[in-house]
Amino acid sequence: MHASYVIRRLLQIIPTFLAVMLVVFLLVRLLPGDPASAILGDRATAEIVERTNRELGLDRSLPVQFGVFVRNLLQGNLGDSISLKIPVIRLIGERLPTTLFLTAYAAVLGVLMAVPLAVLAAVRRNTWVDALIRAVFQVGLSLPVFYVALQLLSLLGARLGWFPIGGYGENFTGHLYHLFLPALTLGLNLAAILVRTLRNSIIEVLTAEYVDFARAKGLRSRVIMTRHVLRNALIATVTLLGLNIGALIGGAVITETVFAIPGVGRLMVDAIFGRDYPVIQGLTLTFAIIVSLVFLITDLIHARLDPRAELT
Amino acid sequence: MTTMHSPVLEVPARPRRRLPKPTLLIGLALLLLLIFAALFPRVLAPFSPTDFDYEALLKGPSAKHPFGTDNFGRDVLSRVIYGTRTDMQIAIFTTLFPFIFGTLLGALTGYLGRWSDAVVGRVADLVVVFPFLVLVIAIVAVLGPGLTNMYIAVSAVGWVSYWRLTRGEVMSQKKAEYAQAGRVLGYSPSRILLRHLLPNAVTPAIVYLMTDMSLGILLGASLGYLGLGAQPPTPEWGVMVADGKNFMATAWWISTFPGLALTLAGVTFSLIGDGLADALRPRA
Amino acid sequence: MNVKRLSHISIALVAALSVGQAFAATRGGQMVYGRYADSLFLDPVLNDANLDIWILTNLYDTLLQPTNDGKGVQPGLASSYAASNGGKTLTLTLRSGLRFADGSALTAADVKWSLDRARNPEAGAWNSSLASINSIAVSGSKVTLNLKQPDPTLPAALATFNAAIMPQKLFTAAPGKNDAEKAKAFAERPIGSGPFVLSEWKRGSYMVLKRNPYYWKKGDDGKALPYLDSVRFEIIPDDNTRILKLQAGELQGAEFIPLSRVAELKADPRINMVLFPSTKVNSILMNNRPKLNDGTENPLSDPNVRQALNYAANKDALIQVVTYGTGKLMKSYMSSTTPLFDAKQTGFPYDLAKARSLMAASKYKNGFDLTVLATSGSADDLALLTALQQMWSAVGVRLKIEQLDAATKTARYRANDFQMRTAAWTNDINDPSQITTYYAVFDNIESVHTGFKSAEIDKLFAQSQQELNAARRASQYQQIQSIYLKAAPIVYLYETPYPVALSNKVKGFFQIPLGNNIFAGASLEK
Repeated sequence: MHASYVIRRLLQIIPTFLAVMLVVFLLVRLLPGDPASAILGDRATAEIVERTNRELGLDRSLPVQFGVFVRNLLQGNLGDSISLKIPVIRLIGERLPTTLFLTAYAAVLGVLMAVPLAVLAAVRRNTWVDALIRAVFQVGLSLPVFYVALQLLSLLGARLGWFPIGGYGENFTGHLYHLFLPALTLGLNLAAILVRTLRNSIIEVLTAEYVDFARAKGLRSRVIMTRHVLRNALIATVTLLGLNIGALIGGAVITETVFAIPGVGRLMVDAIFGRDYPVIQGLTLTFAIIVSLVFLITDLIHARLDPRAELT
Repeated sequence: MTTMHSPVLEVPARPRRRLPKPTLLIGLALLLLLIFAALFPRVLAPFSPTDFDYEALLKGPSAKHPFGTDNFGRDVLSRVIYGTRTDMQIAIFTTLFPFIFGTLLGALTGYLGRWSDAVVGRVADLVVVFPFLVLVIAIVAVLGPGLTNMYIAVSAVGWVSYWRLTRGEVMSQKKAEYAQAGRVLGYSPSRILLRHLLPNAVTPAIVYLMTDMSLGILLGASLGYLGLGAQPPTPEWGVMVADGKNFMATAWWISTFPGLALTLAGVTFSLIGDGLADALRPRA
Repeated sequence: MNVKRLSHISIALVAALSVGQAFAATRGGQMVYGRYADSLFLDPVLNDANLDIWILTNLYDTLLQPTNDGKGVQPGLASSYAASNGGKTLTLTLRSGLRFADGSALTAADVKWSLDRARNPEAGAWNSSLASINSIAVSGSKVTLNLKQPDPTLPAALATFNAAIMPQKLFTAAPGKNDAEKAKAFAERPIGSGPFVLSEWKRGSYMVLKRNPYYWKKGDDGKALPYLDSVRFEIIPDDNTRILKLQAGELQGAEFIPLSRVAELKADPRINMVLFPSTKVNSILMNNRPKLNDGTENPLSDPNVRQALNYAANKDALIQVVTYGTGKLMKSYMSSTTPLFDAKQTGFPYDLAKARSLMAASKYKNGFDLTVLATSGSADDLALLTALQQMWSAVGVRLKIEQLDAATKTARYRANDFQMRTAAWTNDINDPSQITTYYAVFDNIESVHTGFKSAEIDKLFAQSQQELNAARRASQYQQIQSIYLKAAPIVYLYETPYPVALSNKVKGFFQIPLGNNIFAGASLEK
């Protein structure tokens, strides 16, 4: 049943991807300002712009350009970056792991912060502990990410010198060390959302009838906590993570800029401002694949954890 | 910020237990304050938000300028107060269309199901897997800069969350007894949908609306950081924080006070959201 | 104004250091330098951006070099040059024993090949600087350039990045079907003739330049330059992060310090906040045409109005508010660091009464609406334009700021679809001809798309391009600058320096007025 479900979902993704590619292809070409203008800047003469457009194949009709794009795509070729003049596949290959590492790191930190605190807030609901936990995360959620990032950077990085300022390290432990502050920035944000929702869903379970029943049966509260409450918290966490992962990857843009991390978020911003069509197209496709896969995986995990869930 | 992609979707949980009543009251009181500041900034603000004072550049908080002045000698307190108007506008216009459109569409496709649901579902997939930033910059670049076009960009994406929430609610409520009863009584589908299902199913969307409003304001700030937010000299909290970041070491007040205002707005919306979740608890 | 004075003192200090070079430079070490964005494409001929240009000469040396003060040229790979045949022949003599960074010999054939590639009219955006060359002949260490006509700009052109000397054999051996493809392959691991050679490049993150052991130039200790073992560029786009990293000692230098932070960093005892004199002029370009693209009447076609806007802009206040006192009044369309800048030019000092009377003499006595294009996200543009909004309201002008992302702004500009836009310019070559062809001469890009056209300027410029007599050329440029000022096709604002923050340990680093970062003489004291 799972296998056929997965296949059906993957088949559903194909038309979505085609639509994504068509939309992004047209959208970037609708943007005012062509790649030649963007890379050549203000000084270029009309002839140089024209020559550059010709060299890039941008003087051809849209259907022809789209045909070339799809044909290359089917051969696994996303074209060359216009500004950097290297293959887009290579560029994404260099940058994507960094962003994925950062995202996963942020998710882990976020969950590590959120789950215990949400349980605590729910168990001690409507006390000052609850109020404090919620207030702190609410403040974190209300401030712009670049502000939080800069504050963390100047306090923990510059003033106390606990962490390096920017960069992403050379090896695994180096990444863990360098990316701690950016992951914390993103993780705080994620935790703020998680705490709010988890707290409510835990309260719901704690006050549900079957928990009362279990308690009446004389089950110890620790058993109730692990068997019912944490299980439900886990389900809600997985669902939330799945829903937010796209936002998390997209949200890496600003974090990557502030912390000088060479990930795909910054690449995307540079590509959009630089009208680097092949890079925008390649990144959009990559993004769509990742988000779709994450959705699929969360649905599968959800189905495994929650016996009531149906895969439809 | 997580706001750089499609708005964050929370899993709606129906609270079972009443939160203390003051939550909603405090939230509403703060909201009234914000609305008052947005409607009558002139009454509260001691100075114009846009006038320069070359004699008072980067002055710290004082009796004359309680929040200090910025790099143009503008009074930060007055800019924060006038900024309320901009930011309340952002909160409303980034969420209004998504809320109405998404909720109605969700109710409709949740009720009708089948092909309508499938079609909207595919469109929603497309929106969710499409990088939001590309869309925002594209729309802002094509239509020109300014907040209006940010609203358009956000609206093009934001409805999906409301659609999801309401659709799920309607689908589960459709099976509820009162809806079945309505059908037995021979009520028209539109009556069942609009009079019975929607009012019950809209709660999570309303609760989410409150979170979405603060996310909308934050998105404005994030776009401000990338230079795509409110245009000068319009005072907007997020852009003020962004502009002040170069002065964090020498003139902390420029970014701190609008930052506090952002926090205040966030807390307000969250208190109201929690309060509403409680007050609007489904009657079913 | 104190800040301003301070900045001049530090400029003077830098200049003194450069002349004296009195310190005993320490050899070795790595200098880590924070850049706001990474280079794109390291080919001298086919690149398009300052991100490449400003570091290229560290990798590729040129026959002649710009002097550190930006006023002239000094010998480079060529130890001397001489004009003959009425200025129609230029003969350069190469130094003996020149080598590329891989140890292979740099010959006159490489020079001919490199210059032929650079002047190919089909290649890149810069070939026009070498357009006067008709043919190149080589024999031994002599390179003879036969010119179509005398060209006073040629020595400066030969000291410019696009005329860099590349290894013909290595380049042509690079994979690829044509020159563009070979350039792509070669530029990933370029071997050049400059003081450094690329050793590692992780795009968007960092770039490491290693010392080229075969570099010809000698340091004060009589041994070969550069002093440093390596230079590492770290890419840090956020200004705050770049500064924090410098203050934490993780960087020894950081470029593009926001002018708002200059005073603060000057007060930091560990940091040497330097304002390198630049050729950067900041102005507002005006559309001078009678009608705008949408057919509406354009008040800026009236010279009175253009002058009025110039006089109504309070430059002292702008320099204070926008450049935090680091800028200085712009007096000609070219910077005061440009050769043949006319010191008698006055610019438009602030004079509101004059501005009002000029407006009264125009048919826009009751003022008008005006839209200016700004680059979105540019703090400087916003500061400048919000200030101008207020200043120009005094002459009845209602200024609307339209923020656009850079590519859109460029597209609108190229289509002449603008009324005003912010603009900054830096020279790429140590000669006034480049900025003049862009700003004052119509035929290139319609006088920076203002539509300004002066037959007199066009004539004077054509003469100056073949004028070998320095005094006569200076007088031609004096006239051009005066005619331009009177017509006021642009709003003259201010000149700004290059703000670079260095660790106190760094000595001998230069950013020359053209913008080139010169690491050859940089050293790190213990």
